[in-house]
Amino acid sequence: MIATIVHTDELLQTIAASVIAGIGVTFLFSLGIWGAGQFAELSRSERPVAATAAALVGAAALLCVAAAVVTGIVVMTHK
Amino acid sequence: MSSDVILVIVVGTALAFDFTNGFHDTANVVATSISTGAARPSVAIGFASLLNFVGAFISISVAATVAKDVVDADVITPTIVFAGLIGAIAWNLITWYFGLPSSSSHALIGGVVGSAVAAAGFEAVLAEGLVGKVLIPAVVAPILAFLVAGAAIGISYRVVGRQRPGIVSRGYRYGQIVSGGLLALAHGTNDAQKTMGIITLALIANGTLGAEADPPFWVIASSATAIALGTYSGGWRIIKTTGTRIIKMDPAQGFSAQGAGAAVILASTHFGFPLSTTHVINGGVMGAGAGKRLSAVRWGVAGNIFVAWLLTLPAAAAIGGLTYGFTRIFGTGALGPVLVTLMALSLVAAAFARRAQRGAPVTAAGG
Repeated sequence: MIATIVHTDELLQTIAASVIAGIGVTFLFSLGIWGAGQFAELSRSERPVAATAAALVGAAALLCVAAAVVTGIVVMTHK
Repeated sequence: MSSDVILVIVVGTALAFDFTNGFHDTANVVATSISTGAARPSVAIGFASLLNFVGAFISISVAATVAKDVVDADVITPTIVFAGLIGAIAWNLITWYFGLPSSSSHALIGGVVGSAVAAAGFEAVLAEGLVGKVLIPAVVAPILAFLVAGAAIGISYRVVGRQRPGIVSRGYRYGQIVSGGLLALAHGTNDAQKTMGIITLALIANGTLGAEADPPFWVIASSATAIALGTYSGGWRIIKTTGTRIIKMDPAQGFSAQGAGAAVILASTHFGFPLSTTHVINGGVMGAGAGKRLSAVRWGVAGNIFVAWLLTLPAAAAIGGLTYGFTRIFGTGALGPVLVTLMALSLVAAAFARRAQRGAPVTAAGG
């Protein structure tokens, strides 16, 4: 009875999606900023290989953020 | 003829409610972006209005919940919906007048439930939908936003902690354009759908639509327009007070709060949970504050929100029920709703005039 009223599955999916999207996107975006910061720092210290690697990590993280946002909107519009 | 007059009054009242919802909620949607310097007030407000409008078109799950899962559409009449709307608007105005942070969404659902109970008894309420889709998510969502924002800000400080502050602030300010946009989109989709649901319920009650019908396009478009115009109009009031009454956060906190709020509202909207977007956004802001320093949280605001949780549903329900009883004094025709509308308009004009003389506070009242 209580399980029927509470919509447990939908509530748990909401919690899981919120945690994954809210924390995951912030983590990835922070990684993007870290990549940009490291790139600037390492370029100044003339370490081009490490700087490029940091830039690639940052760019990949920002691409994942963009993909997550687009996926979220697509999921919303296709129910 | 008489029921068509009531229907026109209901649609007009619902759209007015939607406008005030956007008007009230502008501060919640744009305050973080403005206070961190991520966007100029005029840009943030214009962007939020546009995304409120777009957001209203991306889902109808919440509208379906409001129209079909809260009260039994078979016993609902347009007058019941009208009385519920008056209950919600009256409670919003009372809380606005006294500066209490109330939820328009809870007021709307409370008002309709109260008028339905007054008209047809407790059998008119679908307890499963009310508890499972409204009350429990209403408690869970702000706490979830608080925890997600708190965890997110902790993680972001760890990741970027050793970077130069300049690049970090700039980065999160750019990020806030996206997170603020998502929050406005989320606000538009969840809040505008409540109005769509109420108008759809009135159309079903009037026999204009079938029991299982979805909101027609004109209902979606007019609800989207009303909330977007409300957001834009409310924004100019916010511009005047920017920098004096809005919470100060750093850009990382702003990004985390907006991201958490948007994630919770969008995920809930997907499953048709009609939330108080105000409570969720405040939960996210408090979580981002607590993640940095526990004493940064305005626990007084949290207490007010808790009190509002307890009061809004029963108070709006009581006003909705009384309004329905009053309209029935004049029979089942349009006279009762017309008289109530005229009285409500007079009271609103008087309240605005008095508040304008005293100076209106900027509060967290809204959706």
